[in-house]
Amino acid sequence: MRIAITGIGLVTPVGNDRESTWSSLLEGRPGPGPITTFDASGFTTRIGAEVKGFDFEGMAPRKLLKQASRCHRFALAAAGEALSDAGIRPDPATAHRWGLSVGAGMMSISVEELDVVRQYCAPEGSFDATRMAASEYPVDPVYFCRTQCNAGLALLAHHFGIRGYSSAVHTACASGGQAIGTALKVMRRGLVDRMLVGGFDSMLNPIGLSSFCLLGALSTDNDEPWRASRPFDVTRNGFVLGEGAGFLVLERWEDALARGAEIYAELAGDGNSLSCYRITDSPPDGDGPIQAIRQSLASAGLGPEDIDYVNAHGTSTQMNDQSECAALKVVLGERLPEVSVSSTKGCMGHLIAAAGAVEAAVCALAIRDGIAPVSANFKTPDPGNESLNMVTGTSHRLRIRAALSNSLGFGGSNSCLTFRQP
Amino acid sequence: MSPSPRIAITGSGAVCGAGLRPAAILDAILEGRSAVGPIGYWDASDWPVRVAAQINGIKDQVLVDDRKLHKSISRTDLFGIYAGDEAIRSAGFPALRDTLPETGVPLFNDRSGLVVGSGGGSYQVNYDFFPLLHSSKGDMTAFGRDLASSVHPMWLLRILPNNVLCHVGIRNQFKGTNACITNQCASGALAVAEAAASLRIGEADRIVAIGHDAPIEPESVLGYHRLGLLSSDAVRPFDARRDGTLFGEGAAALALEPLESALARQAPVLGQFLGSGTVSEASGIVQLQPDGDGPTRAIRLALADAGISPEEVGMIVAHGNGTPNSDASEAAAILRVFGHQVPPVTAFKWAIGHTLAAAGTLDAALVLECLARDVVPGIPTLREVDPAFATLPVSCDHQRPRSDIALIICRGFGGMNVALLVRRNTPS
Repeated sequence: MRIAITGIGLVTPVGNDRESTWSSLLEGRPGPGPITTFDASGFTTRIGAEVKGFDFEGMAPRKLLKQASRCHRFALAAAGEALSDAGIRPDPATAHRWGLSVGAGMMSISVEELDVVRQYCAPEGSFDATRMAASEYPVDPVYFCRTQCNAGLALLAHHFGIRGYSSAVHTACASGGQAIGTALKVMRRGLVDRMLVGGFDSMLNPIGLSSFCLLGALSTDNDEPWRASRPFDVTRNGFVLGEGAGFLVLERWEDALARGAEIYAELAGDGNSLSCYRITDSPPDGDGPIQAIRQSLASAGLGPEDIDYVNAHGTSTQMNDQSECAALKVVLGERLPEVSVSSTKGCMGHLIAAAGAVEAAVCALAIRDGIAPVSANFKTPDPGNESLNMVTGTSHRLRIRAALSNSLGFGGSNSCLTFRQP
Repeated sequence: MSPSPRIAITGSGAVCGAGLRPAAILDAILEGRSAVGPIGYWDASDWPVRVAAQINGIKDQVLVDDRKLHKSISRTDLFGIYAGDEAIRSAGFPALRDTLPETGVPLFNDRSGLVVGSGGGSYQVNYDFFPLLHSSKGDMTAFGRDLASSVHPMWLLRILPNNVLCHVGIRNQFKGTNACITNQCASGALAVAEAAASLRIGEADRIVAIGHDAPIEPESVLGYHRLGLLSSDAVRPFDARRDGTLFGEGAAALALEPLESALARQAPVLGQFLGSGTVSEASGIVQLQPDGDGPTRAIRLALADAGISPEEVGMIVAHGNGTPNSDASEAAAILRVFGHQVPPVTAFKWAIGHTLAAAGTLDAALVLECLARDVVPGIPTLREVDPAFATLPVSCDHQRPRSDIALIICRGFGGMNVALLVRRNTPS
């Protein structure tokens, strides 16, 4: 069964919709800058790739928005754009034949909400549960609902009226890719006729930023945020935390043709593996990602000779980029110098659970327009990786018969998606 | 295309307040012993809800031998890793791998998958920031500056929702297809459904499905309580006087593989996976459709997936969480699908509490034990079936399944509903 991508919606650090994001990526316009949504002046990393000037008002009923966290709002906007773009929506007659699959960010609590809990229950710094049960403790049911792990999924299903297969996955940075892989399988199983699929995340808040600063995973190029994310460059020194959402509408090929829908690309294959190495480290020899890429090609019925473009995971950390290079070398073999590779994280930063979904949209747009987006800030490869054909300088015109999108997560989950020209 | 293979269940593991193995847990249930008791994780004596089904008196090392690992994971992860390891061991997968020549091991590992249903996160992990919030007194510059001296550098790793997936993978070198489902209470049942679906399309040769959760923490208890979802003393599924659910904690896991390969290697076959159905009610985060729309459609999809008719179902393990709305709508769905021929119905949450993301996997592991012993356990907390659905065949006494097929219903926030169908292994 062939699956068509007929709608795309994006909210990213380089644009609040699909086409503005895409033109920013093509021009290599950088998204990272000083963090503005809170005072990050004391942190070791004070930069991030924020979504800018996003207007939440009017995008959904006020009551629904109250239950939606920042990343849920990105999701509602991107999903709405994808459905409008596809020109088809669930209605009461078709709702049960629509599915929903999302890569959702981790439970995130704002520092303000956490401080309310602290003031009541830990006035001296250590938690006292008796104080929480006291009558004056302000329990906010809306906050409780919003912080449930499937709140984003529930709000999307409710707002768009999707009543078929619905699920959320979280495999850290592989979440978005794995959600789309799940959707492909659900479509192929015939469980639904159409799917809304995507990812959303925002960890650009004091707690989220803290968690990555503590691990030392972020670039500390605070004075040069625009070039802080430089995937595959020998001088790379960590990723730049981003936020946003990406959504796609999937439908059966013949259904899309029958209603005269514009098809961006075919979602042709999904591969999925677990590195079983260490929780944050990637195997230097590419073991794990190799199997995911091979499985994705097999699932699409393609070989390395069919691939013209790879949208790499390319986080700009020493370890990820080394491991991913090694995997691409093994799988693409002799084809390696002919396959254009870029990481759009050079522009957008790392959108964590949303990354795989946003980058899947990038692959579909690259195929539509015949352009491989530039790998921003890439100058010099690691010794031994010179044979990698990075898209440098500007975006390149390129007929893309098929493209791969890698997403490799903390915890060792690897996802690779294959897209084909219609 | 070749027909999709039949899926065998060849191993299981479970831990909850009622025991450390599926058989021991069912023993407790059949003897009418509930694991619900005083909450011990904090002083709950002044709390509106003071009881839950905690796992008590089990040392962490009994669950996971690697003591170094204890520091880098959460309590829910301990349960999940234990259950996953148990399922893998009881299915005989390590022994099978040991028989392979060295060159065969990488392929074995790449063809071994894991699907985990995870609770997704907890509130109290964030309390690690309290000392920093206290000392910085609202000054974010001080917060950032003092962060590294106040919060553990590996803080994020301890709370990753996919920790069980990662560590069961590393411990057992299961490197194939994988997922970590974070769909609240539906997660555990979905893990089983997705594992079976992956096997049907040949994505792996064996997959272990795990569900785990540890929701007994102050903010969750209070949040559920304020939504009116918790009882103060007991879970009474389908009873006229039911007044809410109670938390439990734990994990369960099932090892699945194609029946053919299970028979070929003479594995102990506990049962077969027959089918699943998954739907959303699109009703918001906590609302439910009162008419049972979601479970009705999930059950019908599972029956269609399994290719069986309602009369063939021998027993039902209902979600039966003891909340007024969920039980009423679930009963409505069961009566709608099965009409006048409803098989015996039971639910386990009166004994083991509601283990949220683990619930569907636990129910599946326990129902295989029920089928093997030819029993539908009674619900001791049931005094009078709610007159609104008086014909629902639930009982405080044990009943007998009318066939070797069982239906499991699993429901969660977001209007999520999953139905699973399994069959006892019948000697061929």
